[in-house]
Amino acid sequence: METQEFEAAQDFLLAAKNYWTTTMYRTIKATYAELESGLQKSPDRPAKAIKALQKNTTYRYFAWLERHLQKMKYTGRYGLIPFHSERRGELLKSIKAKANDKYVPELQPDLPLPNYYKNIDTHQHPGGLWTDELAGIVYEYGARSTTPLLGDSHNDLHARLADLVADGTTYERILDMGCGFGKSTMPFVQRFPKAKVEGIDLSAPCLKLGSKTARKARKKNVHFQQMNVENTNYDDESFDLVTSTMLLHEIPPKAIKNVFDETFRVLKPGGRMVHLDFHVIPDEFHRFLHYGHSARNNEPYMRTLAELDLKQILSKKGFKNIELKQFAESENTDLKADDAWRFPWTTISATKPAN
Amino acid sequence: MSSNTKKRPRKEQQFFDDPAIDRLMGTVMALATEVFVLRSRLIALESQLAKSDLVDITHLSKSPDAVQSSVTKAEAKAYSEALLKPLLGLQDTLGAD
Repeated sequence: METQEFEAAQDFLLAAKNYWTTTMYRTIKATYAELESGLQKSPDRPAKAIKALQKNTTYRYFAWLERHLQKMKYTGRYGLIPFHSERRGELLKSIKAKANDKYVPELQPDLPLPNYYKNIDTHQHPGGLWTDELAGIVYEYGARSTTPLLGDSHNDLHARLADLVADGTTYERILDMGCGFGKSTMPFVQRFPKAKVEGIDLSAPCLKLGSKTARKARKKNVHFQQMNVENTNYDDESFDLVTSTMLLHEIPPKAIKNVFDETFRVLKPGGRMVHLDFHVIPDEFHRFLHYGHSARNNEPYMRTLAELDLKQILSKKGFKNIELKQFAESENTDLKADDAWRFPWTTISATKPAN
Repeated sequence: MSSNTKKRPRKEQQFFDDPAIDRLMGTVMALATEVFVLRSRLIALESQLAKSDLVDITHLSKSPDAVQSSVTKAEAKAYSEALLKPLLGLQDTLGAD
């Protein structure tokens, strides 16, 4: 497959996803509104309208495209998997650490991987992020169209979180849980140059790519390690800030509770946690679409996260100043306009009480 | 690695009453992608031709020689496989129930 063919096909799939995100979304939304307005006012009116929407032909194409555009992106004839597999040798060479390289991730080849991580190919990424050494590189390319309307400014999402967390505060030690290939970590590295930043993840292929990114940026205040976020190797009270981006919706409720326990343990008294994920959903229509995405994109824990009473869970764990806030993922995002499909971005933040 | 790995065949997701429509849509989209790749290639080719006098455009209409014919046949094989594979309903990824 030639690069030009691959790029043309991926351009087409992304353009189709953009059409889905805007025109098709608005059509579905209008259809739902029409169905709902035709029903008598009652508490179960939204549920009845959703039931009718599920039989709507346009909605069925909307649902089909949500699953299959992603599938084609990965495993179609011009998909990420065949394209990168054909270039395996040169790509692996590009992330191979050099002699005396200071930017080497600390890997644990014998680390037990949780079954929820191994049994589901999250995001429809064949083999998940752990079976193939190329997985980090493939994921990096695939993540560019996670939120298609952001286009080339996708990185803004992570920088905006770092800016929000900064808020005039400085940190000495920061832990980024579920850091992947470092896309969420690097804005913290850049925003807090005096802080020591740790990025941890289960995926060795992603951590290798993250280290390469740090090497390229010549940032020495970051260190990537392979660890389970539910049970890290860090000492108690090690960090001023613990953060994650798009981690919680990929793990089951029990693991989420373990993450909160672990966060509490490694935070210094008075320390802060901020997890960016999907939680605050404005109404039943958006909940229906969100749960649909959860099922169609092999992300079952997206739904269970949305159903958790996070304030109660965090309060029981001892956290204070608990806040769940909607998050605008780009400068141009207008939360009230609702004119395009988007994830229900939410910051889940709290502090550990000071002694 | 944990030994408690549970690999299961995943059920094909169905969005239409007749699953044949689901699979047919896959073929339509594969075909649509191929058409766009060709269009993109054609745009690039025409652009190069416009800048150069090396190719006689009228030559493109003639019957291909043996080498070109072989390339076309290999292309047809890969194309038809990509076009028809969606009809099989194969799942490429592990998913939840």
